Amino acid sequence: MAKTLTCTLIILIIKNLKFKDMKKLMSRVLLGVCMLASAACTKIDNYGGPNASFQGRLIDATTHANFETSQNSIQVQLEQISWSATPTPQFIPSKSDGTFEDTKLFKGTYRIIPKGGAFWPVYDSVKMEITQGSSHDFELTPYVVIKNLTHELVGTTLTLKYDIDAPVVAGLPTIIDTQPYVNTTKLVGAGASIRDYSETRAVAINKEFIDLTPGEKSITLTIPNLISGRKFFARVGVRLNDSFKSSNFSEVIEIDVP
Amino acid sequence: MKSIHKIIIAISICVGASITSCQKLNIAPTNIITPDIIFSSEAGVNAYLANIYRALPIEDFKYRPDGGDDININGVNYSHPGFNPGNPWMNFYCSGAVTGEMVGPFGGMDIGGGFGFWPYGSIRDVNYLIEQLPNHKAQLTEARVNALLGEAHFLRAYFYFGLVKRYGGVPIITKVQDPAAPLSELQVHRDKEQATWDFIGAELDLGYQMMPETSIPGKANRYVAAALKSRAMLYAGCIAKYGSVNFVDGEARSAGYVGIGADKANGYFTAAFDAAKLLEGHYSLYNANADKVQNYVDLFLKSGSPENIFIKQYSINSGTAHSWDDTFSPRYMTANALSRSYPTLDLVQRFTTLQITNVDGTPKRFDNLVDLTAGLEPRLLATVYFPGSTLRGLMFDTQRGIYPSFSGTAAAEVAKQPSQRSYIISGDVNTLYQGKRVIGFTGISTSGDELTRTGFYVRKYIDYNKPKSTVDLYKSEQPWIDLRYAEVLLNRAEAAAELGNTGDALTCINQIRSRAGATSVNNATIDVVRNERCMELAFENHYYWDLKRWRIADVVLDNARFKGLMPYYVFNENKYIFLNETETFGRNYNFEKKYYYEPIPGGELGKNPNLYPNNPNY
Repeated sequence: MAKTLTCTLIILIIKNLKFKDMKKLMSRVLLGVCMLASAACTKIDNYGGPNASFQGRLIDATTHANFETSQNSIQVQLEQISWSATPTPQFIPSKSDGTFEDTKLFKGTYRIIPKGGAFWPVYDSVKMEITQGSSHDFELTPYVVIKNLTHELVGTTLTLKYDIDAPVVAGLPTIIDTQPYVNTTKLVGAGASIRDYSETRAVAINKEFIDLTPGEKSITLTIPNLISGRKFFARVGVRLNDSFKSSNFSEVIEIDVP
Repeated sequence: MKSIHKIIIAISICVGASITSCQKLNIAPTNIITPDIIFSSEAGVNAYLANIYRALPIEDFKYRPDGGDDININGVNYSHPGFNPGNPWMNFYCSGAVTGEMVGPFGGMDIGGGFGFWPYGSIRDVNYLIEQLPNHKAQLTEARVNALLGEAHFLRAYFYFGLVKRYGGVPIITKVQDPAAPLSELQVHRDKEQATWDFIGAELDLGYQMMPETSIPGKANRYVAAALKSRAMLYAGCIAKYGSVNFVDGEARSAGYVGIGADKANGYFTAAFDAAKLLEGHYSLYNANADKVQNYVDLFLKSGSPENIFIKQYSINSGTAHSWDDTFSPRYMTANALSRSYPTLDLVQRFTTLQITNVDGTPKRFDNLVDLTAGLEPRLLATVYFPGSTLRGLMFDTQRGIYPSFSGTAAAEVAKQPSQRSYIISGDVNTLYQGKRVIGFTGISTSGDELTRTGFYVRKYIDYNKPKSTVDLYKSEQPWIDLRYAEVLLNRAEAAAELGNTGDALTCINQIRSRAGATSVNNATIDVVRNERCMELAFENHYYWDLKRWRIADVVLDNARFKGLMPYYVFNENKYIFLNETETFGRNYNFEKKYYYEPIPGGELGKNPNLYPNNPNY
């Protein structure tokens, strides 16, 4: 609408430039502006602004703590079914602490489902009315749980040891690999790590969990050549071959390299 | 009396005028071309067909798999047209450049989500042709109408093939829709993926049955339909076989809009095999020159090759010429513009393992760059320009840098951090080290991407005979070979290998290898057949779809970085060495599983809710 108005206005001005009489030109332009201005005000937007909000926690069903997430992992998908029967989905990415929040939503009824992380898919979406301050928590069962994470720093070489376990074994996607994630900030995970300390230190597994021997479930990763005098943040992840190729993560540990 | 005369004259004038004028009003409008005019003459039908051929989704030199720049025509912005992009000179934006055949302009997997390809306008044009042609048998003859109908079925199949390989099942529309029909009729439901592939197979069968044996270059005949069928059915078979193992779950999949049952795979492979076999004896591999390298180079440049099944032509005069020559060679060898897409060492190593290190792990020393190419497969040398080879009288003097001296193994050197390496590198071709250029005129520079980042340049389709001064934008006219007999043989070999007929697969593969100047193989396993396909069809926009239909794109492109062959000059020895290193931009390539299907375009979903559910994870 604004574009059309501007165009009309410009055309009007150009047309009028043929007139040599400036007064006449100005008055015509002003008349045009007044007409457009009055026309522009006739329609009133009667929809409410995006003043509804939605927040919540993603809860690990095995520990009842917040789910360990990372960048590009879990997203909460919202579909405003009070607007359309086939709405375009919108997504709230989870924060690094396993919570999510969006404070600029339109009031209405939504179909909500968490997606994209390494947890057993949720098939029953939640239907709820979102208004100001709405919240809902989702309990998710992780594919793989990382236990007993210990770390040891010898010189500039970091050794990470941990065990992996699966709360539900039947039907678990193939385990692709496991890798450390090392970064210089607390925001560490997939897509937020230093390649030479992370992706290049991955250990391929490519096996079903059920076929892993107890020895293979205890993993040791080493990361050499950390830089002296720097603080690093590290965690480990296990990647599964589900639709999202998503990873389960450990908690983040802090490492001061002397 | 005078007045009576006047009245009689007036009346007769009026009557006369009214009678004659009424007759002249009863003519067809002269400013509108009616179907009769178009479809009652050969020239009219040809003009109508030319428009449809032009719109065919042929992934040629100019195709932009990311859609390309927006184009602005008379103030209207057309975004992401793909097959007719804005700035159509940037031919280096090709699908090979996101898959590791090449690296270059894209920052990663920038093409997975598609560009909203939705050619139902062209499909309507074909449907209209099919509806109208039978009314004009008198003027065109019945035989000609049947041949044209066959062509129409082929063209319709080509459009649906472009759709189904992107979206899976789409609405199959075979009638000309009436815009005044109720909305419920116009909003057509998606068909299942299997039904869409079956429709394409049936259309191509009609094309094969109804079209004549030969055609002028650029137009279809019965064997073009058969060749396309071998490609399409091979795709369908792979989607059935591999897509039922590696898939993304979702509503569209459970409803059958994407995905085909694994039990259908062999039926499709058989159809692909049979269709490919139809071409036997009618087309053959280009083998006119005893020099195997020159022969393979000429195959893409010489007209009248018995290998060409279906081509697309270009001309400077009609403003359709492309820019392949100008945008795949460095500015050093062209009159203008730049290159940005470079073959990887990963592709080269499909042909052979280059002998660049000694047994003890130290890099081999070469007197000249070109010495590395001694004894390599002719097809490889005709597909990429190696350091040391020559184009238009100029040598690819590709050099990454200079080592004042070099000791130790190649592996140890490459593993070092850049700051710990003793080499001298540069972003400027004019930088000298003790009077010697640090990098070549053709790369490898530390800045920009207008010179190779991998050590190689594309040779396939490069017109080496063009004088340097004429190698400019929109000045290349060599046709794109959309379907060639080598692909048909590869389709047949792959279908045969999938069906367990390894004997036939082996015969096909060795035909191709013999023409390529490569040694024969003894066993045509599926891996051998696939690798042969990747080598023979490199840079021809097949690899992206091959990775997708084999459902290995998410494994091949999993945090992938691709390699280059870095030539260095060792100063104190006056020798060259080559190191196998990550290409100089170190880009990461990732393929999300949802990209095995593109999302149905948002605008279409908005117009037609019956296109829901959208493909999984969109």
